[in-house]
Amino acid sequence: MSTAAHRRPLPLQIALWVFIAVWFMMAAFPFFWTLWGSFKVELDFFSIADWTNALTGANTQSTYGSPFTTAGYEGAFIQNEFWRNSINTFIVCFCVVTVSLTIGTLGGYALSRSGYKYVFWLLIIALMFRALPQITLVSGYLPIFFDWNIWGYLPTAILVLVAINQPFTLWMLHSFFESIPKDLDEAAKVDGCTQFQAFRFVIIPVMWPGVITTGLFSFLLAYNDFVVTALILNEGNRTMVPQIAAFLGTTYTEGNVMFAVAAVVSATAPLFILVMFFQRQIVSGLTAGAVKG
Amino acid sequence: MAEIVLKNVCKRWGSFIGVDDFDLTIADQEFLVLLGPSGCGKTTTMRMIAGLETPTSGDILIDGERVNDLEPKDRDISMVFQSYGLYPNMNVYENIRFPLKVRKVPAAEHDERVKKAAAMVELEPFMHRKPAALSGGQRQRVALARAIVREPNVFLMDEPLSNLDAKLRVSTRAQIKNLSHELKVTTIYVTHDQIEAMTLADRVVVMSKGIVQQVGTPTDIYDNPANTFVASFIGSPAMNLVDGTMSGGTFTCEGMSISGFSAPDGKVTLGFRAEDAQVVDTGGELNARVYSMELLGDATMVTVRCGGALVSVKAGKEYRSNIGDDVSITVPSSICHLFDAESGERLTG
Repeated sequence: MSTAAHRRPLPLQIALWVFIAVWFMMAAFPFFWTLWGSFKVELDFFSIADWTNALTGANTQSTYGSPFTTAGYEGAFIQNEFWRNSINTFIVCFCVVTVSLTIGTLGGYALSRSGYKYVFWLLIIALMFRALPQITLVSGYLPIFFDWNIWGYLPTAILVLVAINQPFTLWMLHSFFESIPKDLDEAAKVDGCTQFQAFRFVIIPVMWPGVITTGLFSFLLAYNDFVVTALILNEGNRTMVPQIAAFLGTTYTEGNVMFAVAAVVSATAPLFILVMFFQRQIVSGLTAGAVKG
Repeated sequence: MAEIVLKNVCKRWGSFIGVDDFDLTIADQEFLVLLGPSGCGKTTTMRMIAGLETPTSGDILIDGERVNDLEPKDRDISMVFQSYGLYPNMNVYENIRFPLKVRKVPAAEHDERVKKAAAMVELEPFMHRKPAALSGGQRQRVALARAIVREPNVFLMDEPLSNLDAKLRVSTRAQIKNLSHELKVTTIYVTHDQIEAMTLADRVVVMSKGIVQQVGTPTDIYDNPANTFVASFIGSPAMNLVDGTMSGGTFTCEGMSISGFSAPDGKVTLGFRAEDAQVVDTGGELNARVYSMELLGDATMVTVRCGGALVSVKAGKEYRSNIGDDVSITVPSSICHLFDAESGERLTG
């Protein structure tokens, strides 16, 4: 086949590029705007007089003698100890991913290899719980958490997030396991493995794309969660997202809103890095399912 | 040493009968072939011996020990799967080594044994490839090597040749026969291909719908089929089967009349093999028109319509006739097998 056959007519080519450019702007512009603005003072970024102040930083220039300032970051991280919130987020995410994946791989494997009909109903029930609005679950938990005096702590939030996330990880991992031929388990068992060894030595190595994809989705759920963390964690134990909301809630003092902007940028950057790092696994995990046996 | 005894083994799923009352003793070092059409229970039987299915009732004994409740890993068997079941994340060397590693064979022995097993199936040049980079025949040989590396007591092979092309099938078949002889291991081999069964087996078990139809040596099964199912399943082409009436020692049906039987009167099914009958110019027991003619190279297959069935006869390689020509065929009573018209069971010895 000649390459000419693949060449598109010029107008179509231009239209495609314009479409991609517009789409890219819409998708990426808010982030870059925020990133740019996070180095300005509030009067510039939220300027009512002249919106170009956000670009030029006229007030930033007059206040700090330079069009860029790290005042927002200093305020957030040093004055308000946003790093504590970052650490909390890290702890919550790490625990949620670890627990979700442990239960999810074991449970998904068991469900995929079980010959019983109740498996289907278990998965349907799991899906129903996933479909419920999270707020209904959380409001159901709250009185009990107050009763038991465990409200406000990180482990409690982790517990709730795992509970909310688990049906999804089970579903996803179950379908990944389904795509791995049962012959592999049986070959392993005949070769001398127990069921668990077959799982550990034969199935899991083939499952990595699925585990990484599911793990990433669990991570994103925990990382981005607002409802659960905002309602369950006390002020001292907040993760990043509710803390950003708290910054926004104190806009009476000039400059506080810039803490929120700086915090937003700080919270978003790791996600970019993470997704870029794992993009190949995510794509292969989402499309291929698993390696052919 | 591994003698396998199956005592009245049954497997049911609800009301569906997978295997019914399977009763057989498989001698040490015997090459036993389970033969039958798909869904006849042959693979289920093998999987029960392997421990991958639990029998609903009955006992399975290996070397006199009841193994019903043992895990597959504790039965000292190895198995070759129809889909090979190779571990896609490991290379050929690691695949073959896996059983040794899992069973905690001293690491010092691994290399030697893996290489020996690989050499037996001529895999040395591919040791560092992943299964995905191998052809079907090579994957098949990896599966074989992985089965022999541990030197188990029993080999189980589940249609190992069915995914190979015709030519490779013949050469791998010879390789398997040679391996089983060399390793002196009891082998149970499942297939739906009667030629594989005839060429490989010491004894063949013909199954249909979960029920054992006949157990015997390949010659036995070919020469004395126990019923019409076995007769129609074994041989290429299968035995000709014609429904007709027996009266006073003479079998008659449309287009054919054979005398000289000593069987009671009534409806019977008569069977004979294509190569036993002969095409003659005139005076044969069967007179009909040629329905089709096929050149096989070493012979010519003449098919005629007789008694409501198509009957094939092998003529010499030089024989030629046209569709619609009259043809006469000798079918002496000595080459015929008689079966009960109702049950299909064999009538004469």
